[in-house]
Amino acid sequence: MLLVMAGLTLAACGSSEEPILIGLAGPFSQQRAQSMQLAAQLAVSEINQQGGVRGRPLQLVVHDDSGMADIAVRVARTLHADPDVVAVVGHMNSGATLAAARVYNSGDNPLVEISPSASSPDLSDAGPYTFRVCPSDSIHGIQLAEWARDQLGANRVAILYENDAYGRGLRATFRNSFTERGGQIVSDDPFSNILPSFEPYLTRIRSRGGADVVLFAGARDGAEEMLRTLNMIRYQPAVLAGDGAAGIETADIDAEGVYVSLAYLHDQPGARNEAFTSAYRRIYGGQLPDHRGAGAYDAVYLLARAIESVGANRARVRDYLAGVGDETEPYDGVTGSIAFAANGDVVDRDVVIAIVRNKRLESVAR
Amino acid sequence: MNPWAALNTLRTRIVMGEAALVVGLVVVAVIGIGALRTVRNTVTRELASLTAVSAANNRLVTTLFEQVRAAEQYLTDGSVEARNAFRSGGEAAHTYQRRLQALPELSESDRLVVTQVGVLQAEAEVLYSFAHAQQDLGRRGDAQSGARLARERATEMLRLVDLLSMSQSVGAEATANSLEQAATDREMLVWTVLAASVLIAVAIGVATLQSVERPLTRLAAAARRFGDGDLRPVALGRMPSELAELGEALDRLGGTLRTLVTEVVEESERIASAAEDLSAISEQLAATSGDVSTAMEEVSSGAQRQVAGLDESSAAAQTLHETTEDAGHVSGRVAELGASIHQLAETYGSDIDAAGNTLVELGNLVQRTARQVEQLDELSEPIYEFIDLIKQISSQTNLLALNAAIEAARAGERGVGFSVVAEEVRQLADTSAQAAERVSGTITTIRDHVSAMTETMAAGRAQARGVGTVSQGAAEALRQIVTSVREVETESRRVAGQAAQNLTAVDNITRALKSASQAAQSHASSSEEVAAAAQEQGASTEEMAAQAAVLNRAAEHLRSLVKAFRA
Repeated sequence: MLLVMAGLTLAACGSSEEPILIGLAGPFSQQRAQSMQLAAQLAVSEINQQGGVRGRPLQLVVHDDSGMADIAVRVARTLHADPDVVAVVGHMNSGATLAAARVYNSGDNPLVEISPSASSPDLSDAGPYTFRVCPSDSIHGIQLAEWARDQLGANRVAILYENDAYGRGLRATFRNSFTERGGQIVSDDPFSNILPSFEPYLTRIRSRGGADVVLFAGARDGAEEMLRTLNMIRYQPAVLAGDGAAGIETADIDAEGVYVSLAYLHDQPGARNEAFTSAYRRIYGGQLPDHRGAGAYDAVYLLARAIESVGANRARVRDYLAGVGDETEPYDGVTGSIAFAANGDVVDRDVVIAIVRNKRLESVAR
Repeated sequence: MNPWAALNTLRTRIVMGEAALVVGLVVVAVIGIGALRTVRNTVTRELASLTAVSAANNRLVTTLFEQVRAAEQYLTDGSVEARNAFRSGGEAAHTYQRRLQALPELSESDRLVVTQVGVLQAEAEVLYSFAHAQQDLGRRGDAQSGARLARERATEMLRLVDLLSMSQSVGAEATANSLEQAATDREMLVWTVLAASVLIAVAIGVATLQSVERPLTRLAAAARRFGDGDLRPVALGRMPSELAELGEALDRLGGTLRTLVTEVVEESERIASAAEDLSAISEQLAATSGDVSTAMEEVSSGAQRQVAGLDESSAAAQTLHETTEDAGHVSGRVAELGASIHQLAETYGSDIDAAGNTLVELGNLVQRTARQVEQLDELSEPIYEFIDLIKQISSQTNLLALNAAIEAARAGERGVGFSVVAEEVRQLADTSAQAAERVSGTITTIRDHVSAMTETMAAGRAQARGVGTVSQGAAEALRQIVTSVREVETESRRVAGQAAQNLTAVDNITRALKSASQAAQSHASSSEEVAAAAQEQGASTEEMAAQAAVLNRAAEHLRSLVKAFRA
């Protein structure tokens, strides 16, 4: 399943110099990773049109990891072993990024990985060569709790969480943050695809005095099923979901009014973002980038800036990235201002709270 | 240079033997210590990883059981305690699963099992929660069917947890086995290296001892023979270069002594025969001198008679003429004999000079030989130093072995094999020290023989000096003989001259009787002078005979001195 593609290089600068290689790893055979690949290629072609980096063109070395930890490890070994690869943009999901991080951080010549979208809190401790440009799940949990309590004025919240690392993590941070703000958790139930039905959970919530908000911490499929069950039992509490549920807006059910926290939304304000989305739309036939694409776009530009400044050297690129926001100015990316904390997490990054309107996600002004 | 020449020295052999032993010991010690350290480290590491894994595993198992128990309890009594225990148990179980997964010591297969346990636990948790919700809504039938599904997962999960514990004990056993195997392998290696180094050291040691002891015995026998005066050549055979040097010195000494003794014997023979010749000539000379003296006395009395009565002058003149003619003849004969003695004396003088020179050379030779013998004595010093070196190395080896034994004792059960090795090494060091002591004894014996020989040489030197003095005396005697003979010759010539003058005077007697009285007077005084000269010559000849006798005695003495040597 390992799909290796030659990176797209629009060598408009006509440079005959050896290209600088950057790895791009994610489940590109799947729809959800399309935007990540397209945005990364857009960034590379823009940079090469402007003369490349240090007079050399950038070139992507693309590997498909199927979003699975074991394949991600194989991909990471290949990239790690190639001395010409200076850094990696990837991987897309938390499980693959975590597994690959062990490889990238090992050996005599470790390799930088910048994930555009892996949000697991475990990634914070993955190693000095692991970075991400997206906020972690705990940021989502904290900001969703703030939104529920401060914007929606919720007192009673019922939690439905997917019984996996993502769901449990989001639930824990939300729960802590919400109770700290004086809110009450009226129920807290796990689900997975083995659950026969959401109905007993939802009926019990309603029968025990109801909830102001139902927090859904899980993937899109579960969210769809839960919304269908709510419709079925004709119970309409406000629904707040983590970014795992993104995509629910296009589902074949009524998801209108559901709030979703996102690392990035194409309509978020900022000149950089406007230029990015319009270029993306123009080149890719009117499509819009998602948060993974925006993260990948920012990651490629960050790496280009690092290599321009310190040269195509893995260790020096790592040291440069670790100093972004500290030794050097924060990077003004399409997803917002990027500065790295000591553990490689992006600091002071707000999530975007979006609402489903007319089967589309829109940012909600705070 | 022959590359093997360096191997043929005692030093190289001893150093090689000890070096082989020391290197072997060091290798054994390094392997032994390395093995103990590796085993200790491995045991510590493996124990730590086993402890970490089994601790995390035990906690996981405990919390899983607790969660299942609480879930089942809630289904029967619906108590808040059971519900809370179910929740907290689940959270704890997730935590311990994550910790277990994070352990790098976890084997790949165990990791898969833990993942599977996590999946089953998550499913069981969802299904129990579902059943609890049904129970809370009073739907007992639905709750029971949900619980049945949950129990299926829980049973499978607890079975897997069991498997995990079993796999860990199997893993522990495999670790123990591999540790034991590693320890056995290293022990075998230590034994092999030790045996090899001991064999090499023993082989080199035995070879070195033999190559020292055998040549030393031969050298000692040769030195003893020389000391006893038997100077015939000795076959010493092959030996290490230090001892070969010693043997060559001994051989040179024998050769020099042999040449010396032969030459002395020859010279003494020649001196003796010269002395005999000289004495024979002296006797002849003495006899002739007697004749001259008698004749001169007759001349003298004739002259006196002439002075007393010129009347008897014609007859007397005739007689005088005849007698004077006889005296001329005898004087000519004396001159001839004198010349012959002169010639002889000169010949023997140069012979005796040659003999004297030879004796001086002999003295020098003896001195040189004495120096060589002293060098021989000095040569044994480095051998003593080697022996000290061996003793030193032995005592250090002994100490090393003792330390090794202490270390081995400290290592306990694992060190038992090593302590036996250390004891063997210590005994080997003792044996080396004893061998060195034996070599030292042999060297002392050689030194004793050498000093005996030195004394013999000193005596020989004194004797040679005696011979020199004797030959110098002989030469001096000969020189005096020559002087005496020369005087005889001069006197003889004067006698002959006087005789001729006498003849002329007698012929003129008839023509000049007036001067006859004066002539007779002068004649008489001349004859007295001749007689005195002849008497003087006789005394010189006697002295020469006496000197020849001294020479003969010296030659005899020399002969008896050299008889002690067997060349």
